[in-house]
Amino acid sequence: MKNLKYSLFVTAFLLILGFNANAQDANAILKKMDEVMYSPKDMTGKMKIVLIDKTGKEKIREATMMQKGTDKRLFRFTSPASQSGIATLSLPNDVMYLYMPAFGKERRISTSVKSQKFAGTDFSYDDMEAKPYSEKYTPVFLKTEGDGYVLKLIPKSPKSQYSKLLIKVHKTAFYPIYMEYYDKGNSRIKVATYQFEKIGNYWNAKEIEMTDLKKNHKTKMIMSDVEYDTGLSDDDFTVRKLKQ
Amino acid sequence: MKKLAEAIVRLRWPIVVVVLVLTIFFGFQIKDIRLNSDIISSLPDDDSISVLFKDVGKKYGGNTMGMIVLQSDSIFSKPVLEDIRQITDTLKIMQGVSTVTSLTNIIDIKGSEGGIEIGQLVDEYDLPDTKAKLDALKRKVFSKDMYKGTIVSKDGTSTLIMFTLQEGADQQVVAKAIKDKILALHLPEKLYFGGLPMIMNDIAGLMMTDLRYLLPITFLIIAFILLISFQSVRGVLLPLLSSGIAIVWVLGLMQLLGYELTLVSDNIPIILLAIGSAYTIHVVNQINECKERDRRKALIIALAYIITPVFLSGITTIFGFTSFIFGAYLTIIRDFGIFTSLGVLFALIMSVVFVPALISVFSIYRNPEKLKKIKTSENTLMGKFLLLPLSNITLKNPILISYFWIILIIMSIVGIFNIKTSVNMADYFRKNNPMRVSEDIMQKQFGGSQPVFVVFKGDMQSPGVLKTMIKTENFMKENPKIDNTQSVADLIEEMNDIMGEGKRIPDEKNKIEQLWFLLDGQDIMPQLVSDNLDEGVIQSRFASYDTEEMEDFVTSMNRFIKENNTKDCRIELTGIPSVYVKLNHSLINSQYRSLTIAIILVIFIVSVILRSFLKGIYAALPIIATIIILFGFMGFSGISLNVATVLVASVALGMGIDYSIHMITHLTYMLKETGDVDASIKNTMMVSGKAIIINVVSVAAGFIVLMFSHIAPIQDFGLLVALSMIFSGFGALTLLPVIWILAYRKKNIRAN
Repeated sequence: MKNLKYSLFVTAFLLILGFNANAQDANAILKKMDEVMYSPKDMTGKMKIVLIDKTGKEKIREATMMQKGTDKRLFRFTSPASQSGIATLSLPNDVMYLYMPAFGKERRISTSVKSQKFAGTDFSYDDMEAKPYSEKYTPVFLKTEGDGYVLKLIPKSPKSQYSKLLIKVHKTAFYPIYMEYYDKGNSRIKVATYQFEKIGNYWNAKEIEMTDLKKNHKTKMIMSDVEYDTGLSDDDFTVRKLKQ
Repeated sequence: MKKLAEAIVRLRWPIVVVVLVLTIFFGFQIKDIRLNSDIISSLPDDDSISVLFKDVGKKYGGNTMGMIVLQSDSIFSKPVLEDIRQITDTLKIMQGVSTVTSLTNIIDIKGSEGGIEIGQLVDEYDLPDTKAKLDALKRKVFSKDMYKGTIVSKDGTSTLIMFTLQEGADQQVVAKAIKDKILALHLPEKLYFGGLPMIMNDIAGLMMTDLRYLLPITFLIIAFILLISFQSVRGVLLPLLSSGIAIVWVLGLMQLLGYELTLVSDNIPIILLAIGSAYTIHVVNQINECKERDRRKALIIALAYIITPVFLSGITTIFGFTSFIFGAYLTIIRDFGIFTSLGVLFALIMSVVFVPALISVFSIYRNPEKLKKIKTSENTLMGKFLLLPLSNITLKNPILISYFWIILIIMSIVGIFNIKTSVNMADYFRKNNPMRVSEDIMQKQFGGSQPVFVVFKGDMQSPGVLKTMIKTENFMKENPKIDNTQSVADLIEEMNDIMGEGKRIPDEKNKIEQLWFLLDGQDIMPQLVSDNLDEGVIQSRFASYDTEEMEDFVTSMNRFIKENNTKDCRIELTGIPSVYVKLNHSLINSQYRSLTIAIILVIFIVSVILRSFLKGIYAALPIIATIIILFGFMGFSGISLNVATVLVASVALGMGIDYSIHMITHLTYMLKETGDVDASIKNTMMVSGKAIIINVVSVAAGFIVLMFSHIAPIQDFGLLVALSMIFSGFGALTLLPVIWILAYRKKNIRAN
């Protein structure tokens, strides 16, 4: 958090000095965005996943969520009734455990195919990964647009399903406002829009809307009852806990 | 008729102006006319199987699937894998392409202790490059049914790259773009394109080529025959002009009414060129033959005489084509019937109204001085060497000629029993066409390409329905022509296996509901179940085009369905085999129906106009004989009854009857004039016979051109129409006079 305040201060200072926004270093902006998104030690909350098809029909799933750091996450579905109790536990190195109460047992699912969709949403495993953007992408500053900076992100790995991302980062709060995903033919294939709100010291993505432009299908992830830094331990992210 | 003829001459200016204005108007419409090669859309909306097929295709995306077959010595080598990857990557980023599945990006699901591992069969960023790695891949591919015969052929020499088109995309445009782009990669392997969107694109291309090349060739051939027959520019220009205008009108009207050119109707121009010119030939011929020195009077006299027979022959042709409207299963054939009839009507109007008006406006009468020099028919080559001998033989040996026809007809009847029907779409392409090759590969190596759908209505999450689906799939796979089947029930079995409870449908509904969690949102799901889970489908492919095998499959499936249908799980079968079986039955039925309708109508019309039922029968006899010979020929030559050749008999009837009408009109007139049967025949042969032969040759030549079509059934169609023209012309010139002799000589003897 110190970092964030410090960077805010630096930004303000630069602005006062009359520096042009273009002079902003793309790397610095992206790092700051990562800090905003991944600085909490842990997080708990409720998540509503709304799947909207091309005719506008909605399917709603609800889950409670726990996350520690950037690579441990536990979802427990509460709705619809038929899928209530199903839980997933994501651990580092692309390992996931799935628990189904009707079967009373868990299964280990490991996937190396990052372009696969995550649990029927428009988010791919790649998009869900909580790895800092500055580690995965090389940023290039494009322009200032309204209340934010627009960066072009080039994937560092040739295995990425994207050729580039265009993202807009808020000028002062440094949370993402939107992200546009381009395929290797340079067509825009997905767009994510973010709404952030301040909870305590952190900026929380209370709603993310991902649109698959090819399929004309949307997923909204809406967070509520969010609490940060409640002191979750690694023991809360075990298979034993998953089955409870 | 004289009043009508006079009116035409009086109103010549308005007629010419109106026709010109309308032609320009319709001409402007044509530039927007579109080709539609979608055969599926031409399935009728009042037939449950075809409605279900169209519905399922749309709902579950089966009709938007395309594939590329890549063929090489062995698929398992690095350069080939690189090319597969290149095609996959190219397709993936194309506009209008939704999903791509190939060897280089297919998902591999492995069971492991306590769970599963989802990975890729081949790491597309690190393709196997050593022999050991390539062999390992090969072993893996051949060990799993999921890959063998699905993505790689059983012999390892070809692989499939499958793709689906985005909903709402212009399929023909995307298909063409795909083909262009993939071919532009210039890969060393052999590539074939398959699947409905690609087939439709190819057919559209062939239709375009046909129109572009065949129409001008037909035009030139008919012009050439007219030139040597009439030896005047006018005799060439007027028939071509009038049929040309009819073509412009009918195409313009199609566009105006929102119709597209289809696989069948794109032949309308060529057919109209051949038929339409005939009417004008008769009109011009009659004006030429008239000896009256005042050419305007001559025009009126000739016109007053010729309107009736030309009108009569036009109307009978129209009835021949309209008979399709009632008998056809496919809407493309019905539309063809409607618009060809209209085209013939336009051509008819042009020949009796516009052509005389034009002649009189521009005073392009033949110079009276030249008239003297015109040879009478007897002195022409045709007269000396063909018509005269023909009439002599007929008069001397009527019995011999009738035996000849009787033997020919008996032989043909034998042939009729060998007629095969074919509704196979691959038959549309010539033997060496890449599309046909790819269909063959699909059939031999990949379990066919003809979609089969079994639709289940009920609760898709109930164990009962899912178990019935599995039972149905097992039953289907007993048929040697069904290689694999796919349904949501298979996926549930697999997911149940992943949960450690074996590859079977769980007995508890709540387990199924939870397994569904893993399937929700997967790309494959919309292809297998409806959104609200009250309908699901088994997708499969049938690997044969044999009508009998399809018939057997459909019959056994329907029996199975009957036994397993319940209130909570209603089952229906559709797909190409079902549609083909239906189409096949309807092909024969509609053939009988439209022929019967046409023959009755023609006899009726001819009887009414000639005021004699007997003459109506006489006129029909050479045509009925021709149709029997035509079917006999089809039986012996192996040309099958298909969507195009089914049209021949009615076309032959409509056009062939013209010859009979001209002969009988002339015979009746001459018999009244001379009172002598032999003289009436001789005179008729010389005058009408000449016109008939010119007509037979020009029409037959026009249709022969269709033998160079790129669409196989159209080739057969061209050959058969040409043949039936020759036989019906020949019938009118020999069989009809023989009947005439036998009927009237007897009468004469009795009278004497």
